[in-house]
Amino acid sequence: MTAVTARETAVPAADIRKRGRFLVAITILILSVWVLAPIYLLAINALSSPAQVNAFPKSLVPGMETESIAFFLGFAGVLRALGNSILVAGITMVLAIGLGAPAGYALSRFDFRGKDAFRIMVLMTRAFPLPLLALPLAVMFIRTGLDDTAFGLALVHTTLALPFAVLITFSLFSGIPVELEEAAWTLGCTRFQAFHKVVLPLVLPGIAASAVFAFVISWNEVFAAAVLTIQNRTLTAFLLQNINVSPMHLKFAGGAMLVLPALIFIFAVRRYLFAMWGIASR
Amino acid sequence: MRARKAWVAATLLTTVAFGGTTAAHADILFWSTQAAPVEETQAMREQVLSGFDEPIDYQATDDRGPWLTRIEAELEAGSGTIGVLGALHGEFVSLADNLVDLSDIDLGDVTLNATFKELGTLGTGEQKYLPWMQATYIMAANRQALDHLPEGADINALTYDELVEWAGVLAEETGSPKFGFPAGPQGLKHRFFQGYLYPSYTDSVVTKFRSAEAEEGWNKFKELWQHTNPSSTSYGFMQEPLLTGEVWVAWDHTARLADAFNQRPEDFVAFPAPAGPTGRGFMPVIAGMAIPQTAPDMEASKSLIAYMLRPEAQIATLRATNFFPVVETDLPEDMPASVRMSGEAIARMSDAENANPSLLPIGLGEYNGKFNQVYVDAFERIVLAGQDVRTVLDDQAETLRSVMEESGAPCWAPDEPSDGACPVE
Repeated sequence: MTAVTARETAVPAADIRKRGRFLVAITILILSVWVLAPIYLLAINALSSPAQVNAFPKSLVPGMETESIAFFLGFAGVLRALGNSILVAGITMVLAIGLGAPAGYALSRFDFRGKDAFRIMVLMTRAFPLPLLALPLAVMFIRTGLDDTAFGLALVHTTLALPFAVLITFSLFSGIPVELEEAAWTLGCTRFQAFHKVVLPLVLPGIAASAVFAFVISWNEVFAAAVLTIQNRTLTAFLLQNINVSPMHLKFAGGAMLVLPALIFIFAVRRYLFAMWGIASR
Repeated sequence: MRARKAWVAATLLTTVAFGGTTAAHADILFWSTQAAPVEETQAMREQVLSGFDEPIDYQATDDRGPWLTRIEAELEAGSGTIGVLGALHGEFVSLADNLVDLSDIDLGDVTLNATFKELGTLGTGEQKYLPWMQATYIMAANRQALDHLPEGADINALTYDELVEWAGVLAEETGSPKFGFPAGPQGLKHRFFQGYLYPSYTDSVVTKFRSAEAEEGWNKFKELWQHTNPSSTSYGFMQEPLLTGEVWVAWDHTARLADAFNQRPEDFVAFPAPAGPTGRGFMPVIAGMAIPQTAPDMEASKSLIAYMLRPEAQIATLRATNFFPVVETDLPEDMPASVRMSGEAIARMSDAENANPSLLPIGLGEYNGKFNQVYVDAFERIVLAGQDVRTVLDDQAETLRSVMEESGAPCWAPDEPSDGACPVE
């Protein structure tokens, strides 16, 4: 008797679970398409001839014409600009984490006067539009000799990335119980050793994520890059201002050129990102 | 061990960041708002500037913000890297005080267009910039559209009435609107109203902004909009919808139609803009070259400008950018399709008996953007939002009047010259 009732109720339960799984699958599918479809369209159009790009209806198979991409690779200065972009984004990443992580640690571990004010103030750098700041910045950079250097531009990008670095690392450190550190101290660790051996390994994936964020902020920034660099242009400043007025097939090829390096970078560090969300990928 | 590696990497990074920046500063920097599309930039570098004795770093941006900010910063800092500035007439106005007098440049036996040269003084006694190249806006049509041309209409002498009729017939016979207009964010719609619709209906750009004639012009355009492809609000360069076939008839800048003519010359025709009651209004665009006071090597900059005005460089510029020469010269036979086709249409337009050329706004300086916005707002309110034409014109006339008064700009052709700010009647 009891066995029968159990079976009767089990059927709808399995049904619900099945539907739930179906819903999850659909959501995953929609999210993936949401992200992948534009990248796919960008890729096939970048690999098509001008005639194919302008044709209607659009083909969903790439024409495998490398003409547009080849144009960009031959465009004077693209490779150098790519190098500059990576360099500036790299320095930004190092500076943003180098300055932001200690600030985040201090915010989460110590009580000091003006702590709340600091947390708000650190966001202020995002409150001023760059076109407004660019003129005085450029004047100052020209006078101090920072003008047209990757380091100078990286300083500006660091300012933009710093609020995120501080606030992300602040919440990361806050998530690590202070008792863990205290335990390490009682076992003979100095403050620095405790941080290095106990806290750091735990927050490393999160720090990597905020580093990626700093990288992307620098990679995407156009205005400051366009004003503060001349010979040492970043790829974004170099291409973006010209692509928006170029013919369609070159827009796609240029878009692909801008997206690809960032994608490769994110792909390279994905293990850290996944680790942050608790997904093991070995 | 790992820590040391990180330090080495960081040191390396900083060294690279600071090193290699002092090299190659000898190139003359040509800082331009023209020829910004990548193919044109490439062509400027490889086909035009490579002929000059010294290496030139040609940098073009379509975004005026960074362009202006950079030059302003150099002027304020008192030292600069920019050797030559390239821009449209209106973009030089706010910089006039900081531009070097170019009247002592030796042009040899080159004859510059006198009207354009006069514009280059920017109303001062000095030659603030020298004309560089010129272009204008024309009409383009897919050959298929010619079969639907209303009876008795001559494509080279169209009127606005005929254009509206044609667009109507096209929409009806092909099942969808086939007229296209660059009303997107990147589009040059304001130039259509300033240089084509207003001169053709009112023989004025500013003075008769709210006149009854202007009302008639706007109503005609509203009629045309009924038969216009609704995607027009996203179009920037009309060559793209022309090539895809979404649009069969369009108005745009010659350089923004060039791709269509070059890719499929046998499929398209170029023809003059239509005429209204007060003539065939059209707007020549003039780009110029200037030297800022902070230029690192004044002599090199000047000889670069002289080089750019030599007939062979002018023709190379025409091939590269689809902007026409400003010096007297004969065009060779083997020009690209877009040059031949637009060149003929431009000649027909400017030689037409009822031709009514109007200049790009002059003397507005920093008010250029606000001035354009008056026409864009009028378009959006009247045509897109369907508001009452009279009310909108009265409203916008007030804005226009304050723009004119604040900038103090006197009238320019086709408006009658004025003492002081150009009045809005």
